[in-house]
Amino acid sequence: MENAEKYAKVDRDILAAMEKPGRLYLAGLAVAAALTVIGGILWAHQIRTGLGVAGYTHPVNWAIYITNFVFWVGIAHSGTLISAVLFLFRARYRTSFNRAAEAMTVFALMVAGMFPLIHLGRSWVFYYLIPYPTQRQLWVNFRSPLIWDVFAVGTYFTVSVVFFYVGMLPDFAIARRCKEGIRKKIYTVLSLGWKGTDREWRHYGMLYLFLAAFATPLVASVHSVVSWDFAMSIVPGWHTTLFAPYFVAGAIFSGTAMVITLVIPLRKAMHLHDYITDDHFESIAKILLFTSLIVSYAYIVEFGMASYGENIFEMEAFRYRALGEFRYLTWAMIFCNSLVPLTLFARRLRRNTAYLLVVSLLVNVGMWLERFVIIVTSLAHDFDPYVWGTYRPTYVEVGISLGSFGLFFMLYLLFVKNLPVLSITEIKEHL
Amino acid sequence: MKAFLEKKGVLAALIAAAGALLAIVTLEHGPGKGGSLLFSLLFFIAVVEGCIAAAAAGAMVNARWVGSVREELLSVSPLLLLLSFLLLLLIPFLDIYPWAGTPGIWLRKDFFIGRNLAFLLLAYVAARRFAAAPADGEGTKSRAAWYLLVFVTSQSLAAFDLVMSLEYPWISALLGGYFFIEALYGGFAVSAILCLLLHQRPPADSAPGSRSDLSDLSILMFGFSLMWAGLFFAQFLTIWYGNLPEEVGFIARRLSASPLRELCVAVLFLLFFIPFPALLSTRAKSNPYVVSAVAVSILSGILVERYVFLAPVVRFSPVAGAIDFALLLLLFLAVVYKGSRGTATKA
Repeated sequence: MENAEKYAKVDRDILAAMEKPGRLYLAGLAVAAALTVIGGILWAHQIRTGLGVAGYTHPVNWAIYITNFVFWVGIAHSGTLISAVLFLFRARYRTSFNRAAEAMTVFALMVAGMFPLIHLGRSWVFYYLIPYPTQRQLWVNFRSPLIWDVFAVGTYFTVSVVFFYVGMLPDFAIARRCKEGIRKKIYTVLSLGWKGTDREWRHYGMLYLFLAAFATPLVASVHSVVSWDFAMSIVPGWHTTLFAPYFVAGAIFSGTAMVITLVIPLRKAMHLHDYITDDHFESIAKILLFTSLIVSYAYIVEFGMASYGENIFEMEAFRYRALGEFRYLTWAMIFCNSLVPLTLFARRLRRNTAYLLVVSLLVNVGMWLERFVIIVTSLAHDFDPYVWGTYRPTYVEVGISLGSFGLFFMLYLLFVKNLPVLSITEIKEHL
Repeated sequence: MKAFLEKKGVLAALIAAAGALLAIVTLEHGPGKGGSLLFSLLFFIAVVEGCIAAAAAGAMVNARWVGSVREELLSVSPLLLLLSFLLLLLIPFLDIYPWAGTPGIWLRKDFFIGRNLAFLLLAYVAARRFAAAPADGEGTKSRAAWYLLVFVTSQSLAAFDLVMSLEYPWISALLGGYFFIEALYGGFAVSAILCLLLHQRPPADSAPGSRSDLSDLSILMFGFSLMWAGLFFAQFLTIWYGNLPEEVGFIARRLSASPLRELCVAVLFLLFFIPFPALLSTRAKSNPYVVSAVAVSILSGILVERYVFLAPVVRFSPVAGAIDFALLLLLFLAVVYKGSRGTATKA
């Protein structure tokens, strides 16, 4: 096939994903939108009634909302890993996943950012979190890791959006050429007058490389800061030096699983088998396996240190995790995050997309459970047995959590139909 | 000397002789002999295992630079046997550990030595299996993966057992990870030095050993300098912010008096503040002088850090320390030289 014909085919195939949606797509969108609306209504109910409708009880005052915050920030991380880090490593297979992963990063961060506000209760005074000079010289507590979160997540979101947008510029220009009507006008604005001259490509390449290099350390810094929300406290089960790298690895692990979860159905629904191959899935499955091994190492070390240190509070915290009332969640977490991914040592399973989808779904579940187990069990079983307690989520918390999944998938489905799901220009580069 | 080293069995005899000499030096009565051996042991376990781990990590990701130094990096594997033997020489000196004599399951002398010895020997077996596999043959990657698993466990045990338990009940869950990342960092530094020594005049741009291989290694050292700093900071910040007497004491002891305070700062410079800015520019990454200086800085940083870890709790004998270190260094150079000759013969 001639090059021009090949390029035209790539344009056609990928832009075809943006054509009129089918029934299955609309049904999925409706379900996601319904969940989002339900979540929104429940949040409004919580604002109107007060935080009492959430399942907070003494001593468990950080629960599902903070679990969701950490989970969604973690999901966001793999977007940057796959896109920026693999770009720096010149890994070609990133092209199959980078756009979906970058979109996932932006949407996951949007969802994550809501949870500290939901958790606050009085969400309308969220601006107290932002450091700005006031007449009374009231400043936020810069020594608090929660304020470090504001800086870290805010910076990461800004860089992720810019990286996502810059990466799409040449593709917007292609969409501008191929679309008609109002969409053409929108893509014309979004493409910022891109003409594809040598000068533009040179500047584009430099900017993209710079953003990739800038975003890479951010991945480590953001989730390290999130981990320090816990590690800086002296609560048993939280105060451990390992938390920063352990959370970063866990974030990449969960994010990679989410990318697989999103891309396998995308490939099937949009008929993109020529561009997202089994080889690409095998490569990303290796990342999943590698990060699973790091997370498993952290589990072993955490339990080992609790036993080694002979600190009775620490030992009790971990005994409670493994054998207490949340033990099923702990063992489910270990099963999903440490045992199931071991099967990916088998090449045949790494290349089986149906199996990979099941593994990635289990990892998503496992990583959510991990955050829940870390947060709730440590608070429920603090230093003093007289204040030990338990936690049961209410329908409001469950509904808002499901609503967050609804919002994420709704945004993702809208992305699929409105923006190129694969990087057209990068695919052409590799032809 | 060169011809002598290349004779069959000479290297094995040298290793055995060095082992015997080290045993005599260490077991002879005198204060600080065990501490000096522990210091050399900790450094060389990191460097030797790190060299093989660097080759294994490179093989796992099909790194091009591995081709130019693979044989030399893997040639150090016999030293793991010697290091296992040296670990046994520590048995009479285990009383320097504060837990010695107290009842317990994990911290018991026989189990302590047994598990560390087992993983050093396992690392040796895994390294030999990996070395025996062809560079890009069937099963090489799985052997590399096995070695890396053993390496991670062995380095973690070295950190938790040999270093952390010296100040029992001080704990840092990150110390194991910090150790194996540091060992890998050291492995890349040795790879860069080897790359420069073996391929002083780079042939074509794409050939193994050319500048591009050096640049790749420089990028790895640059990346690992950042990672090292991240791990160091994560560990330091948590301990400092937590401000618990049982954990902050570890840092306070090292920062409260000279010369350890200055050595701590030196470690920071040698492992981060020199490598990071030095390798920031693209040109510096392929400059042999810059790269070799950075590699030496990294290895010196690891050496000084090992001293800083041990100094407040362990006595040293300078003479025994110098003999231990010099013997191990000479053996290291000899095995690498032999490995490089092997490559040259094959070529």
